[in-house]
Amino acid sequence: METRELFWEITSLGHTLFFVVAGAAMAVAAAGVGWHVWRYARARRSPVPVHPWRGFWRMIFDVGSQRTVHRRDRAAGHAHTPIMYGFLLLLAATSIITVEYDISEPFFGFTFWHGTFYLVFSLIADLAGLGLIAGCVYMMWRRWKLRPAKLAYRRDYRGETEERPRARAWLRDDALFLWALLLIALTGFLQEGVRLAMDQPAWGAWSPVGWVLAQIFLGLGMDEAAAAAVRRANWWIHGIAALAFIAAIPWTKAKHLIAVLGSLSTRDASALRRLPMPRPESAGAAAAVDGNDAEPEVGFGSIAQFSWKDLLNLDACTKCGRCHEACPATASGAPLSPRDLILDLRTHAARSAFRPGEDAGLSLIGDVIEAETLWSCRSCGACMEICPVGIEHPPMIVQMRRRLVEDGTMEQQLRDTLDMIANRGNSFGESPRTRAGWTAALEFPVKDIREETADHLWFVGDYASYDPRNQEVSRTVARLFRVAGLDFGLLHEAERTAGNDVRRVGEEGLFESLAEHNLGAMAEAKQFDAIVTTDPHSYNTIRNEYPDFGDVAPIRHYTSVLAELLESGRLTVTKPLGRRVTLHDPCHLGRLNGHYDEPRRVLELIGCELVDMPRCRDNSFCCGAGGGRIWMPDPVGKEKPAENRMHEAASLGNLDAFVVCCPKDMTMFEDARKTSGHESDFVVQDLAELVAEAIDLKSIDLKEVPALVDRIADAAAARIADAVAERLADRLADAVADRVAQDLSERAPALAAAAPQPAPQPAEGEGPAPEAGSEVPAADAGPWRPAPVSAATLPPYEVPAKDGPRVLVAVKRVGELNADFVIDEEARTIADEHFEHELNEWDEAALEEALLLTEKLGAGEVVAVTIGPEDAEDTLRRALAKGAHRGVRVWDETLRDADPVTVARVLAGVAEQEAPDIIMTGAQSADLGHGATGSALARVLGVPHAAVVLGIDWDGGETMTVTRELEGGMRQQLALPAPALLTIQTGGNTPRYATMRMIKQAKKKPVAVVDGAGVGLDQAGAVVRRLYEPPKSGRAAMIEGDAAAVAAAIAGIIREKRGEA
Amino acid sequence: MAGILVVAEHFDGALRDITQEMIGAAAALKEDLGGPLAVLVIGDDTGALADTANRAGVDEVVTVAASDPHFDPALYEEAACAVAEARQARLVLVGHTAAGMAFGPAVAARLGSGFASDVFGLALQGGELVASRGGYGGKVAMDLAFPGKPVVVLTLRGATFKAAEEPGGAAVVPFAIEAESLAGTGRHIDYLPAPPADVDIGKAEFILSVGRALGEDTNLPQFAALAERLGATLGCSRPVADSGWLPKAHQVGQSGTIAANCSLYLALGISGAVQHLAGMKHVDTIIAVNTDPEAPIFNVAHHGACVDIFELAEALEREFN
Repeated sequence: METRELFWEITSLGHTLFFVVAGAAMAVAAAGVGWHVWRYARARRSPVPVHPWRGFWRMIFDVGSQRTVHRRDRAAGHAHTPIMYGFLLLLAATSIITVEYDISEPFFGFTFWHGTFYLVFSLIADLAGLGLIAGCVYMMWRRWKLRPAKLAYRRDYRGETEERPRARAWLRDDALFLWALLLIALTGFLQEGVRLAMDQPAWGAWSPVGWVLAQIFLGLGMDEAAAAAVRRANWWIHGIAALAFIAAIPWTKAKHLIAVLGSLSTRDASALRRLPMPRPESAGAAAAVDGNDAEPEVGFGSIAQFSWKDLLNLDACTKCGRCHEACPATASGAPLSPRDLILDLRTHAARSAFRPGEDAGLSLIGDVIEAETLWSCRSCGACMEICPVGIEHPPMIVQMRRRLVEDGTMEQQLRDTLDMIANRGNSFGESPRTRAGWTAALEFPVKDIREETADHLWFVGDYASYDPRNQEVSRTVARLFRVAGLDFGLLHEAERTAGNDVRRVGEEGLFESLAEHNLGAMAEAKQFDAIVTTDPHSYNTIRNEYPDFGDVAPIRHYTSVLAELLESGRLTVTKPLGRRVTLHDPCHLGRLNGHYDEPRRVLELIGCELVDMPRCRDNSFCCGAGGGRIWMPDPVGKEKPAENRMHEAASLGNLDAFVVCCPKDMTMFEDARKTSGHESDFVVQDLAELVAEAIDLKSIDLKEVPALVDRIADAAAARIADAVAERLADRLADAVADRVAQDLSERAPALAAAAPQPAPQPAEGEGPAPEAGSEVPAADAGPWRPAPVSAATLPPYEVPAKDGPRVLVAVKRVGELNADFVIDEEARTIADEHFEHELNEWDEAALEEALLLTEKLGAGEVVAVTIGPEDAEDTLRRALAKGAHRGVRVWDETLRDADPVTVARVLAGVAEQEAPDIIMTGAQSADLGHGATGSALARVLGVPHAAVVLGIDWDGGETMTVTRELEGGMRQQLALPAPALLTIQTGGNTPRYATMRMIKQAKKKPVAVVDGAGVGLDQAGAVVRRLYEPPKSGRAAMIEGDAAAVAAAIAGIIREKRGEA
Repeated sequence: MAGILVVAEHFDGALRDITQEMIGAAAALKEDLGGPLAVLVIGDDTGALADTANRAGVDEVVTVAASDPHFDPALYEEAACAVAEARQARLVLVGHTAAGMAFGPAVAARLGSGFASDVFGLALQGGELVASRGGYGGKVAMDLAFPGKPVVVLTLRGATFKAAEEPGGAAVVPFAIEAESLAGTGRHIDYLPAPPADVDIGKAEFILSVGRALGEDTNLPQFAALAERLGATLGCSRPVADSGWLPKAHQVGQSGTIAANCSLYLALGISGAVQHLAGMKHVDTIIAVNTDPEAPIFNVAHHGACVDIFELAEALEREFN
C-alpha cells in the first residue's frame, strides 16, 4: 500500500531522543509565545476599543490573499506567497502525520496516511517544498544581489556611514531565517530522494522532486549503502533543523508568523484620522491637583506606558522597509525612519521586559528615540498605510510627542505658534477679528452665520483665512459657490484653528479647548445643514475627532461639493480647459479619508487631462507640512519633501499645472516650485481656480447672480426655449427671453436691498491707552515740596502662613496692536478691539527666574500678582500653569490706565500683606515700555533693588548675588541683602511652556481678587495731551515685486555702495 | 522754584553719551522753561567728570562724593532728590539706561513728581512742559503733560537728543548728602566683560542683521552663509541673542553694540524695536526687509521691502553667486 516508513532504522533510543528534542523545541516555542502573551497581558489597555473578531476575517483575507505583501512590491509578494503557503502546507503535512502516528493509530487503531490520500499528500508536499525553495532563493537574490535601498539598515538619512551593532544583528536574523527555511526544505527533498532511490516504490513519481533526485542519485551510481548512510544522517539534520526552527519562532524574525495574526486582526484604519484620547489611566492628572502628589501621566514617556496593542505591533515588524521607503521625512534626510523607530522601540521593549538591567538607565525619549526623531514626523500616514502587518506608527509618535510638549521640549517656533493659537485662535498671530477679512474684496455680501441661517457653514481654517495666496483661492471658492447658488455663511472671529495639527503636535489640551470652542460656536450659530471646508486638515478633525466632544453636522470637502455642482449643472463648463495637469492627493483628504476620486472627477468634468504622478492616491507623497511641521523649520541644505515632489511632477513632462486642493499644499508647493528650479515648468493651481476658468467665472456678474430657485427655473425655461426655438418660430423664443430679462430687472431691487450693510460701528471700548487729559482737573503747579507716594491701603485678603521663602512676581497682561489699528485722536484712546493680549515677555522671564529660584532652593512659594480686569485672569492662570503657587488680582476701574507710579503703589499694597522675601518684575512691559514700575515699587517699599537683572544666585540667606545687564554686553555683579526687588531682563533664561492642560488645571489654584480701593483716583503722573501715529517723514522707499526682484534691487544698492556698479 | 537738573551718568571714568545728550536737551529747553541748568555728578573722583559735564548752557555742576566709582541706585536716588530739593528743580532729567531705569522712577516716587520714561521729545507748549514718548513697539506716539506738578522727572531716550559740545564755564559746587540713610543697599562686586567674540559690530562697515523672523536657530546658517558671501558682518536684534542663537557680540543696539562705523545696514526680519534702532539708525544706507509694512524699522530705513526673508536670502544668494 502507498505510504512510507516514518522512523526508518531509528533505534528505540533514537526514537526517544527524537521525541525529547521535539518536546523541548515545542516547549521553547510555547515559552516564547507565553512570554510575549505575558508581556501583553501586563501592558496597558489600548486607549481605543479593539475589536479583534471584527478584524479577524479581514486578517484571514489579507493573509490568505497576501494582499498587503504584494502592495508596491509585487516581486516580493510573489516570492512571499509560495514561502508562506509552502511553509503552511508543510507544517500541515507534518501535523497530519503527527495526528496519525501519535493519536489516531496508537489510541484508535485508525490509519489514513496511505493510498490515494498519501499520493496526493506527497504531491502537494513536494510542490509546497518547491515553492518554498523558489521563494527563499529569490528573497536571497533580492536581499544580497538586488539590494533594494529599503532593506539597508545603515541610517543614511542620519548621515551614518556604517550599520549600528543592532542593525548587524538584524542582518544576521534575516539571513538565518532564510537559510533555515532553505535548509529545512533542501534536506527534506534530499531525504525524499535517497528514500526513493532505496525503496523505488511504484508510486515514486507522486513525489516528483524526490523522484527526480532519486533518478539523479541512481544515475550517478549511488549504491544502497551510500544512500542508506545519507538517509540515516540526513534524517537527523532535517528533523533537528525543523524543530530548531519551531523553537526559534517566537524569538526571531519568524515571530511575525504569529504576531501578524494579532496585529492584522486589531488593525484600526482610523488610528491616525482619529487619534486616541489621553488614556483613562491618566486620570492621575486630576488626582495631582486634588492634593495627590502622583505625577500626571501625559503621553508616553516610558515603554511601560505602551499598550499591549502597540507592543504587538512592534513584534509584528518584518523589517520589510515599505514604511522606510514611503516616509517623506526619511526621504528628505530628516532623522526619522518609521522602520528604525519601530525596531528601536521593539529592541527596547524586549530588553526592558527580558533583561531589565540592559536598558535600565535609558530614557525612552532621548536615549531610545531622540526628540528630533519624533518631531520629524509629518503625520501623513504613509507608513501605516503601506505596512503589510498593520503597524500603526503615527499614534505612537503622537503619544511620545504629548510627553515632549508636556515637558516643554520643542522648537521655539512651534512653541511660539502654539502660544499664538492659544492666545489668538490662529497660527498666524493675526487678529481674530480679521479672520474673515478676505471676504472684503468679494463683489457680494457673505453671511455671518451667527446672525442669519444658511445651508452651509463654511469652516475656513487658518491658511485659507490668513495666507494671501490662499485668500485668493478662498475668494474663488466663494464666487463659485455664489454662481452655483450654494448658500453659505462664516463664523467670522468665532472660528478658531480647527486643531487637527495641534493635536498631532501633541498639544492635546489645546486641541480639546479648540474643539470645544469651535463646537460651541457652531452650536450658537444660526441654523445650517452641513459644514463645508477647503482645508483637508480641518475636514479630518471635524469629521473624525470632533464627534468625541459633541454633536457635529456632516462636513464636506469642497472637492466633492464642486464635483456635485458640476455634475448637477449648477456650475456649467463653458470653456473646457484641455490642459495637461497632475494632482497632488492631500494626505488628510485621500489617505486618511479616502477621497481620491472627487478631485479627479472635477478635473475630468472641466476637461483636463490628468496625468498621475508615480506616487499618487494612497501612496501620495506628503508636502511636508503635516503633523505641525509647517510650524517648524526644515533643516537648511536638505531637500524638502515638497521639492522632492516638484521633481516628481516635472518628470511627467509638459505639465501645465500642478493641481492642489489643500491650502497648506498651496503654500508648500508654491514655495517649492521656485526653490526646486521648476518655476518655468508648470504652475501650482488650486482646483477651484481651474473650475473658475472652465466656467468662465470672469464673465459672470456676481452682483447679479439670481437666487438658486430662480436659476433652476431659468435653466428649465432656457431648455424649453431651446426646444421651442428648434421646432417653432424665433418669435416664441424671443418672448421667453424677454420674459427672463424682465424677471431679472424685477429682481434687481431685491438684489440691491441685499447689498452689504455698512459694518456696525465698533462699540466704544476703553483701550489701555492713557486717560484723556480733559478728565484731569488742570491745576497750577503748587509749591515745591517732596510728596513721597506711599503704598496703597488695600482691603485685607487671606494670605497663607509662610512656608519657606516667598517670591512675589508682578505679571502684566499687555496689549499688542493689530496691523490695522485706528487711533481715536479726539478721545486720545485706541479701542480695545485693536489689541491682542498676552503675558508680558519680560514678566515671563521674571516668573521663570522666580520658579528656577524656588526649585533650586527646594522650598518656598511663588505668588503672581497682576492688576487688571477679569479678562486678565487668563494671564494670571498662565503664570499659575507654569508653576506659580497662588495668584492675586487687584482691580477697580480707576486703575484702567494707571501710570507706573500708581501701579507701584498698588503692588506695594499687596507686598505689604504678602511680606515677600524677593519681589520680581519684568524690566519693562512690551506695550508702553515704561521700564519704571519695579524701581518705583522698590522705593515705595523702601527695599534694596537692582534693575535689568539677568541672573540671581541666592541660597535663602541674608545676601544674594545678582548679575545686571549694562550697555554694550557688559554685565555687573552686585551683592544685595534680602529682601530685595529685582527687575528681570529677558535672555537670562528660557521661559517654560504651559500646556493647555496645565492652564486648565491652574483653575484649581487659588486666586485672591482684591478691590483696588479707588487708588487710581489720585494719580496724575502725566496726562495725555495727544495720541498719534509717529510721523513717517523718514519713510523708506519701498521696493516692489517678489523676492527675486527685491534681491536684484538690493544687490544693486550693495554694489553701488561698494563702488562696483 | 526753577531750573533743570541733569543727573550725569558715567562709566569707567568717562561720562556716557547720554549725559551730553541730556545736557544738550536741557540747554535747548532752558530758554523757554527757564534756568538755571545744573548737572549732578556723583562719584569718588568727580574732577575730570565735572569738567566734561561743564558745557555751554550749564549754570552749575553739582558734585556728590561717593566711596567708589560704581553706580549705586540708592546713592543716585538720594543725591538726585536732595539736590533737586535744594535747587527746587522744576525738571529732573535721567537717562533711560540700565542705570537710569534703576533710580529714575524711584526719584519720581519719592518726590511724588510728574513722570515719564523713554522720552524722545521735549517741548514747551503754551507754557506747559510736554514730553513725547512712544508705545506699542513704536506704532503710537503720545505727548504728555504734567499739570499741577511742581517737579517732573523724565528719563530720556539715548541717541536721540543732540549732545552738548561747546565747553562752558559753570561753577563746580560740592554738595553733601546724608549717607547713613543708604545703609543696607547693594554692594558692587565686579564687572563681567561681554563674552569675547569673533565679530566687532562697532568696527564693521557692512552689517547684515537678522531678527525675530528667523524663527529658529537652524535657520541661522543660511544667513551666516549669505553674510559671508556678501562680505558683511552678521548682526542680530535682541531676541536672536536672547534666544542664544548668536553670541551677544552680534547684537546691534542699546544693550548690544552700536554700529558706529557702519555705512550699509541690511536688516532682515527686524521690526525695529527702539533699543535696536538706537544702535543703527545713524547708518548712511539702511535697507530693511520685513513682511509687516507697518514695522517701525521702515521709519529709519532708506530702502524697504515686504517679502519673505528666506526667499529673499535665496534670491540674494543667487544674485551674488
